[in-house]
Amino acid sequence: MNTATDRAPATISAPPPGDDAAWAARLAAREPAALREMIARHGAALHRLAYRMTGDAHEAEDIVQEALLRLWDHAPALAGKHPPGSQAAARLRLGGWLQRVATNLALDRLRRTRRLSGGEVPEEEDNAPLADVVIAAGERDNLARAAVLALPDRQRAAIVLTYYEELPNAEAAEAMDMNIKAFESLLHRARMALRQALAAQGDAP
Amino acid sequence: MSVNEHPDPGAPIVPGSPLARMLDGYAAPELPAGFAERVLAAAEARPAPLPELRRAPSRSRRWRIGQRIAIGVASFGALATAAAATGLLEQLAITVPSARTVWAGLTGSAQPAGKPVAAVAAAAPAAAAPAAALTPAAVAIEGPIDTPEELGETFRRVDEVRAGRCEERRRVIDQRIASEIERRRAAGLRVPTPEEEARLRERIERQLAAREQRADAAVAARRETMQRKVENGEALTREDLTGRKPPSPETRERFRALRDLPPGERAKAWRDLSPAERRALADALRARRAVRLPPAPAAVPQEDTPPPSE
Repeated sequence: MNTATDRAPATISAPPPGDDAAWAARLAAREPAALREMIARHGAALHRLAYRMTGDAHEAEDIVQEALLRLWDHAPALAGKHPPGSQAAARLRLGGWLQRVATNLALDRLRRTRRLSGGEVPEEEDNAPLADVVIAAGERDNLARAAVLALPDRQRAAIVLTYYEELPNAEAAEAMDMNIKAFESLLHRARMALRQALAAQGDAP
Repeated sequence: MSVNEHPDPGAPIVPGSPLARMLDGYAAPELPAGFAERVLAAAEARPAPLPELRRAPSRSRRWRIGQRIAIGVASFGALATAAAATGLLEQLAITVPSARTVWAGLTGSAQPAGKPVAAVAAAAPAAAAPAAALTPAAVAIEGPIDTPEELGETFRRVDEVRAGRCEERRRVIDQRIASEIERRRAAGLRVPTPEEEARLRERIERQLAAREQRADAAVAARRETMQRKVENGEALTREDLTGRKPPSPETRERFRALRDLPPGERAKAWRDLSPAERRALADALRARRAVRLPPAPAAVPQEDTPPPSE
């Protein structure tokens, strides 16, 4: 399990302009190597995003797989809209497209789970035996996890995208299909809720 | 420090702050080994993507709205045309202006209403006016009739009206004979045999022809008089054309009052008149009839209708 060092998406290097359009064209041509490259580039970041949204590693894997398969399915349409060498190709960002899909999939699953269970998503118990050396870290992990999972779904998504994935507000708003003003208001409320949760734990922010 | 003591609880999270330290404790696991192979296998087993929608997604929303508006306008026009063609608007008392009226309203070139197509002399028969309006006249009659051309045109119009009346008269006779035979058959009475019916029709036709012959003779005599007057440069008067003196306004008003009464009241009003008034009215009526028809050598058939007034 990663520690706090996995917060920054430093592993995803910014592709050169138009590069994603070339990858989309290769995906549209049904090249498995292209899909493998997309998994290598974006899989980890998507998994972090999905896990922090759902709090469930298996659910997060399903979300990442579904997002990548949707990219595989939509690649012909994306390649058609962004032909390599065009101005539209320079604007295509497959990472942002995947983040938007993964965020929506996570929100959909949380909504569906809540509707089926009729209440809040229960915090999952970790039944694995804890070693003494990781007890302290585990307590801190559980505290942060509880605070993040206690947020409303969209506020949680805002925190995950901006704090953990370090996206600019504009890109995070785009990933959530919101305008920038509404997103900033949502992010403001999420930070307030987190500070209240931290204050409730007796630790001053 | 509680959250209320923080200057801005919604401020960005500063790295290294207690909140940031707490959030950094929420670590995410790595993707499991073999995840990429699972995704690739699922992609291989994935069915082929659906084909593109027929409607191109690049079509602008504005054009889609315009297309719907155009379809709506065309549908409304088709329905309105169908309603006008089937007479539905007339049943609903909705007036549909003609294209000429609309164009005249747009261009301001509307013709003044009531302008006669051809100015007929005031003395021309009233019944001839519609026929003259429908049939394009070779000679325009302006003012009183005082030229041979205008007189010839007047004769032509009068002949048209007379021909129409003769035809109508024969149609009415046929209708009356047929209805009478039908009435007798329905009542169980004896109906005339075809030979009897043929004889009846022959007799009626003979009387009708004699009547028209008398009328033609009277018309020819009057036309000779009119032609002489026109050749002498005189203008024709109403009396020349109709063959009778116009009734005085008092007489006309009295006739109209009697004619407008129901039959029972008309008889009562006739009885209420003084003997002198009754005699004067009877003389006037007899004079009108005498002018209208020359003395008949035989009885007028029952089916006859009033003679043409010229």
